Amino acid sequence: MNWKNRDWAWIYWSAVVLLLVTGYIFWDQMVPEWGDYQADFKELVASRLGQARAKQVPTGIQQVWVPQLGRADRCTTCHMGVSWKGFESAPEPFRTHSKEILDKHPIAQYGCTVCHSGQGQATDERSAHATMVDHWEDPVLGADLAKTYLVKNREALLQINCNQCHRYDRETKGADYINYAKQLVQQKGCRACHTINGRGGMVGPNLTYIGDQSPEQYDYSRMNGVKTAFAWHLAHFKEPKAMVSTTVMPNFGFGSKEAQSLAMLVLSWKKTNFPVEYIPGAKVGDVPTPEELAKEKQMETGEGAFFVKKTCFICHSVSTLGIESATNIGPDLANAAADVQARFGRTLEDFLAAPTGTMAVVLSTQIHLTPEERAEAISKLKAAYQLKLEQEKTARPKK
Amino acid sequence: MEVKKSKWDRLFWTWKPASEREAGDSVVRNLLLHWFPAKVTKESLSFRYSFWLGTVSALLFGILAVTGVVLMFLYVPSVERAYPSVKDLEFTVSFGGFIRAVHRISAHLMVAVVFLHLVRVFWTGAYKNGTATSQNRPFNWILGLALLLITFLLSFTGYLLPWDQLAYWAITVGTNIASAAPLVGDKIRFLFLGGNEIGQNTLLRFYVLHCFFLPTMVLFLFYWHMWRVRKDGGLACVDKLALKQKSENTAPVKSKTYSLLGITRGSTVHVETALVAQDEHTVPSSPNLTRRLLAVMLITLTVVALLAVFVGAPLEEAANPLVTPNPAKAPWYFLWLQELVTDTTIHIGGLTINGALLGGMLVPGLLVLLLGAWPYLDKSSVNSVGVWFAKERRRQNLIFLAVVIFILILTIIGTFLRGPYWKFYWPWQGWPEVPRRF
Amino acid sequence: MKNLKLLASEMSEGRRAFFRRIGQGTLLAAVAGQGYALLRSLVPNVLYEQPQKFKIGLPTQFPEGVTFIEDRRVYVFRNQNTFHVLSAKCTHLGCTVKMVNLNQPETVEIKGRQVEMAQEFHCPCHGSKYYGDGTNYAGPAPKPLACYQIEVSPDDGQLVVDLGETVSRDARLTV
Repeated sequence: MNWKNRDWAWIYWSAVVLLLVTGYIFWDQMVPEWGDYQADFKELVASRLGQARAKQVPTGIQQVWVPQLGRADRCTTCHMGVSWKGFESAPEPFRTHSKEILDKHPIAQYGCTVCHSGQGQATDERSAHATMVDHWEDPVLGADLAKTYLVKNREALLQINCNQCHRYDRETKGADYINYAKQLVQQKGCRACHTINGRGGMVGPNLTYIGDQSPEQYDYSRMNGVKTAFAWHLAHFKEPKAMVSTTVMPNFGFGSKEAQSLAMLVLSWKKTNFPVEYIPGAKVGDVPTPEELAKEKQMETGEGAFFVKKTCFICHSVSTLGIESATNIGPDLANAAADVQARFGRTLEDFLAAPTGTMAVVLSTQIHLTPEERAEAISKLKAAYQLKLEQEKTARPKK
Repeated sequence: MEVKKSKWDRLFWTWKPASEREAGDSVVRNLLLHWFPAKVTKESLSFRYSFWLGTVSALLFGILAVTGVVLMFLYVPSVERAYPSVKDLEFTVSFGGFIRAVHRISAHLMVAVVFLHLVRVFWTGAYKNGTATSQNRPFNWILGLALLLITFLLSFTGYLLPWDQLAYWAITVGTNIASAAPLVGDKIRFLFLGGNEIGQNTLLRFYVLHCFFLPTMVLFLFYWHMWRVRKDGGLACVDKLALKQKSENTAPVKSKTYSLLGITRGSTVHVETALVAQDEHTVPSSPNLTRRLLAVMLITLTVVALLAVFVGAPLEEAANPLVTPNPAKAPWYFLWLQELVTDTTIHIGGLTINGALLGGMLVPGLLVLLLGAWPYLDKSSVNSVGVWFAKERRRQNLIFLAVVIFILILTIIGTFLRGPYWKFYWPWQGWPEVPRRF
Repeated sequence: MKNLKLLASEMSEGRRAFFRRIGQGTLLAAVAGQGYALLRSLVPNVLYEQPQKFKIGLPTQFPEGVTFIEDRRVYVFRNQNTFHVLSAKCTHLGCTVKMVNLNQPETVEIKGRQVEMAQEFHCPCHGSKYYGDGTNYAGPAPKPLACYQIEVSPDDGQLVVDLGETVSRDARLTV
């Protein structure tokens, strides 16, 4: 039964190969690239900060999930030191992130890729940095890329991403290339021919969302060197006719710094979907009119300022002293001197010392008056009443 | 020597029957084995006859079902989360990349193997009836054709799910060809897509088709297909054997095992010849068929695992309806159609022949109809049943070969020789560089 | 002669059995490995959830007394420079309990000790009540409010709450 044995030979030999393949995929899973980085970091912490701290270093894939931005960034799997104090001079990937920026842009609310770009979901270096990877168009905007484009400041490229939220700032602290580019846009009058953000001319294309344009939609026929959108813009800014032979865009005599700044600015002009809390300067709430603001100022500094300071004006107007309540829950205190007598049969001093009803509750929980304040209140109320009487006198028609 | 039966033996005797009697018993005492006849001819077991292609395609379907169910826990069929969930499979799910690659490679292999199975069945004339009663192999051929079309659809619906550029535009090309059908083309496209554009509706209905509806149809049709194989007396090569024995005029042998185990028409069970069941020609299914099956299972699994590790599954950028990749290609098994469409889009003066209709609908439609009708049009005799390249069927076999080669050539052109703008590129001619953002 | 042949065939029989065993073992291992891979893939390695361990701020940012962190459902207690954390999830069916400041601190006996509490926790869903240390004393709640571990983050010194680690009711973090 020769064929019986042959069958078993096939079975067992395929089992061997299958076991080898299975062994390979197990090894691949159990010895990931980030494992080495995490072990190295643990050692670094142990050597600099002691074993106790080293034990607290987490293991496994680290993920920062920011649902508002729709990002799940795993950069901290290798870049473990970003929020550790004391690794400012450590070698990458363990270096501490610059504290100033991180304080304003905490990792838990922003993640990493929204500023640095790269493939946040990746868990190995090549895929995450994505500078040379097919099918991922957003490489990490770091030193490698800056070197390729000869940008003097190796960290400048990531300012492109700053501008996605800071687009409407005139000037953003720390984004010097972008600030410079925005100045140039003002000075050179780009809006004369291009529509930017809803305003501008129609001679050239609308640049409002030019950063979204696919790299394949540029015309590279006159380009030497690498065919990238960034390179296209650099070349175009330096000499518009070199890229678009029929253009009327003048040559502004831009040097490398200008061209780089403008290319960065232009590539940052994308449609973004950030929640409003992420946009600096976005007003979230009612904006008072200038008249309302003026009235507020008046009330705070005028004769009735006491009633604003002690928050009486929340419920009461004091009309003759210029205090207008927004709610008018209680009566106009300009009348108080007479009112209190009429309604409660008591004097103002008496009433304020031992109030009844609503005032009893308010003056025992919300508004606390010292005896001096009480005296001030009374004297002001009396003055307000005097004013009222005078006004009525002048208002009454002379018989 | 009396061997004491261990507990193991008592539980698994059906897989290792110790006697002819036990072998016969095992197919009625074991749920999994009831699938098989008690005995099979040695010819049926031969690798060189059928290459076990039908079995391999069923095994691939099994692999796809198992990996598919696991993937269903990990993949999210929403246009926002589909692509990120596939990225997560590659990066954070343990063995995720491997499982996905096994699934995709099994899918492509299944399309190829099902097609090869069709070719084998044609060339051996196994779609023809033999001399036994109430055979209906032509109908089984139709069932097989239905299975082939459903396999294409399964692969097509699955192709969209990663929601990357490759997926999105392949389905754009495919569904646009479908809309070339006369009168109902646009309506079909609208229903297929769940709208006018490929979007959430499309993804969801493709997902349901892919995970539930089409596999259910495969299971049902496969069951029917196998039942018919049993009813038809097994593989077609058995008929060849029966014919040979008829010509030898041997006397019928008393036997309790009925050959061609099945129910025939008529009121009595008809045992024409028990000779096919003789020892020299047949062996018990358990353990011979099962052993071969195990071997084929393992070889298939191993080949798939090796391809998964060394070839992997592609994933391009996230789908972008505003950017069409250049060139945009249908999945490889439809590339012959896409090539045909471009070749039949002919401009004569001011007139343009609608290639989508001609090459995309009419030609394949005609091919399918012809294939389906062929067993009923085939005039060759029973002597050509189950015979590789029977002389009597030489002409039809050659024509079939020509069509297969034609389709292969079109596929090769579409895959390797067409570049941006569908221009012709020799393999050594580089395609223009694809520009990047940085 | 016959005996030798028998011996030889017996030896090869033994070797064949050995190789068969190895083959079977390999097959089993390979299939088991593939099966394990399929199942292991269903155990998530990353979660799209709020993390169990999270930073809440520097110790100096917390006022004396109790601070409620609403979106993580914990109460953070500060007493001078000791901290501890109570879960705000009612142990009955998981509603968020409300803190009630007592006008006068009351002394309560818990496990034989007299403890002074300035607040209580009441659950709005089914009326469970807890003392200021989380001990349940009324309503359907079966257990006291959980105490979670709080520690100082090794990297930037912020307080870190770990919802995956429970600690004893008396445990305090001293910064």
